[in-house]
Amino acid sequence: MSSTFRNWTALAMTASLTVTAQSALADNEVVIVIEAEPTSMDPHNTTDSNSATVQNPMFEGLLRFNESMDIVNVLAEDFVYSDDATEITFTLRSGIEFHDGEYFDADVVKQNLDFVRDSDNGLARSSFFSFIDEVIVEDDYTVTIRAEEPNSAMASYMAHSSAAMKSPAVITRKAEDSDYNMDREGAVGTGPYQFVEWRDGVEVSVEPFAGYWDADNAAKVDRIVFRPVQEASTRVNMLQTGEADLVFPIPTLNASQLEGNADVDLYTGPTTDVFYIGLNLEQDKYNDLRVRQAMNHAIDKDALIAQVLDGYGTIADSAIAPNVYGYAEQDIYEYDLSEAQALLADSDQADGFSATLWTRNNTEFVSVAEFVAIQLGELGIDVSVEAFEAGTLFDMLDAGEGTDMYIGRWSPGTGEADYGLRPNFASDRVPPNFNNSGFYRNETVDQLLDSALANPNPEEALDTYAEVQTIIYDDAPWVFLHIPDAIVAKNPNLHGVFVLPSGNVHVSQVELR
Amino acid sequence: MFSYILRRIVGMVPILLVITVIAFLFVHLTPGDPIRIMYGAEIDQETYQQMRAREGFDDPMVVQYGRYMMNMLQGDFGISYRTRSNVSDEIIRRFGYTFVLTVLSMIWALVIGITVGIISATRRNSWMDRTGMVTTITALSIPEFWFGLMIMQIFAVQLGWFPTSGSGTWIHLMLPSLTLGFGVAATIVRFTRSSMLEVLREDYVRTARAKGQSERVVVWSHVLRNALIPVVTMSGLQFGFLIGGAVVVEQVFAWPGLGSYLIDSILNRDYPVIQALILLFSFQFLVINLLVDISYAWLNPQIRYH
Repeated sequence: MSSTFRNWTALAMTASLTVTAQSALADNEVVIVIEAEPTSMDPHNTTDSNSATVQNPMFEGLLRFNESMDIVNVLAEDFVYSDDATEITFTLRSGIEFHDGEYFDADVVKQNLDFVRDSDNGLARSSFFSFIDEVIVEDDYTVTIRAEEPNSAMASYMAHSSAAMKSPAVITRKAEDSDYNMDREGAVGTGPYQFVEWRDGVEVSVEPFAGYWDADNAAKVDRIVFRPVQEASTRVNMLQTGEADLVFPIPTLNASQLEGNADVDLYTGPTTDVFYIGLNLEQDKYNDLRVRQAMNHAIDKDALIAQVLDGYGTIADSAIAPNVYGYAEQDIYEYDLSEAQALLADSDQADGFSATLWTRNNTEFVSVAEFVAIQLGELGIDVSVEAFEAGTLFDMLDAGEGTDMYIGRWSPGTGEADYGLRPNFASDRVPPNFNNSGFYRNETVDQLLDSALANPNPEEALDTYAEVQTIIYDDAPWVFLHIPDAIVAKNPNLHGVFVLPSGNVHVSQVELR
Repeated sequence: MFSYILRRIVGMVPILLVITVIAFLFVHLTPGDPIRIMYGAEIDQETYQQMRAREGFDDPMVVQYGRYMMNMLQGDFGISYRTRSNVSDEIIRRFGYTFVLTVLSMIWALVIGITVGIISATRRNSWMDRTGMVTTITALSIPEFWFGLMIMQIFAVQLGWFPTSGSGTWIHLMLPSLTLGFGVAATIVRFTRSSMLEVLREDYVRTARAKGQSERVVVWSHVLRNALIPVVTMSGLQFGFLIGGAVVVEQVFAWPGLGSYLIDSILNRDYPVIQALILLFSFQFLVINLLVDISYAWLNPQIRYH
């Protein structure tokens, strides 16, 4: 924070407002501004990346992903799969303390996993752990997870932010008293920072935990404050005045303006989001493969990225993004209007047709939709864009009635191929199940997805995922668009931040120097 | 007077009852599913169904409404789906923020509005009057979010006089309250001016001047007092509408009041919060109307209520 502002605030505190509580401004405080308020302090009841970002300094799991999405050990010292990939056994670190003084051991792992996966406990992540058949405590510091079926993605699941370990006292209390508000009061983990308070619409703050086990990764600032600010321009302004040390996400337009600013560090990197135009394959007009291929060739992806995203993106060359485990690059549909026109002329829709494109009503989606509509117009497809508020659009797509074309965005929370492909392309995920809103059905794809997941040999599983991606890309059930960049802007004095492609921002190691 | 106020208060009850029904239907008939919005496709169909059942969405509407009313009559507005906080506590806390913001905006609006209105009316067609009128038309036409971002850019980013956003101190309140009060000030200027001009033509003003009272006394005690009656009505109603403006301004300045709460809750279909806020805003309007009516009697003793 700039010293000017800090003095200002200190002055103003003497005339403090009666309706607001004051937060003491620590000397070494880092302010992180996020797009929306977290929904929970419980990693087991969280599916959004804002909440995951806020929880990150407080919680740890057995494993985690590093910057390049590789799996590294945290509370586990080591892990090993059984030969048939039905079991994974973790050796745990000893002497690790939770913020409430409880100790971490194999029983705690079992208690955590058994509680979250019991669907009667109503936690959002219960299905995430449904692959688990049994958690077996071998000794105090050895624990084995046995899967229902061979599952080579178990380590990825356990590296996910929702596989964090909560204090056994919190879980016991929730088990005894169902009214206990674990979402707001249960933020007790083993991380370098401990929970201070959550004021709705204002901030969540955390402070260093003195008993943290890992001296190398201990807290380096006196306080981290997370503030939700929905208006993107305000977020950018806060960074410029020094009221914020780290701000995300930044709209692409603001990012290009900030690029020349020496007082701001801009970080960009590809996300794991794939933008696409979904096609309702139950409509006759999309039956002919040549129609779908023509549509893919008709979109100038480079121009889309340059004009609509101000350059902050890459072309989607598969149904999943390069940072997703299991990704395999495909030959993209090059922009070629004459080839597209030739394909369409040969198809059963030679005269073109008209279509309705559903989009969310935010600027990012609408501008992409309008760009696509114009380009498809040149091909002879008359597209009208209809914008809906996100919640309404989900409802319409899940109902599966009247869907034509829709713009979608998908990122696998687990960072691996199964979650990237199955919800969008498996036959049993058509409406009212999510998220195969275009009714894509392909038995080969279904079988390959199942066999890849069950394959204990990672190399073979990767080959199978590559095969599935080729089939899907060639089948063109989507018009594949782009992968947007994550854009994070920060104070140049702030160090130790890293952004996972999944959109989670890790700030547990931040320092000001 | 007392029995009049009592009757008005009793009369609010059926209105509020109807509003609970409308609010309930409004949130439940709007497309969009709170669970789907909150968790996306990250939960499977089984978990989704369980969560629906837990929140009671599978019960018939009448049952859901009955449950909502029963809890509400005991002062329980439920738990927010989105942040799991107690809705009543949260509304009380945020009401403080919005109240302070709205009151300060109204003070700006009244001070600026009435002053400029009087000057414009008493110096009609002067350059001051014309400047005032052009400024008010401009102020009325500028969208609040744009004006807010502009003064944030000038006074916070460029000049560094105020923080851009947030809450906690009086200075945090300056930019949002000025933004919110600006448009209302313009309305009050126009109302004050036209009302003053009308009263200035009245016989009793001529009489007052004829008996030799100074212009200052004429304007302040004869004209202004009578001219202010419509201004009071209008200001009262504007006060109600300020809550609507607060929705936008709170969003821009990240002010943690009821306006930003309403936006968040609507986007996330946070039913308990939306219902409680609709009821609260309606109640607020009814109370403001009542206060406006009572203030008439105070300003003009000729008005009597029966």
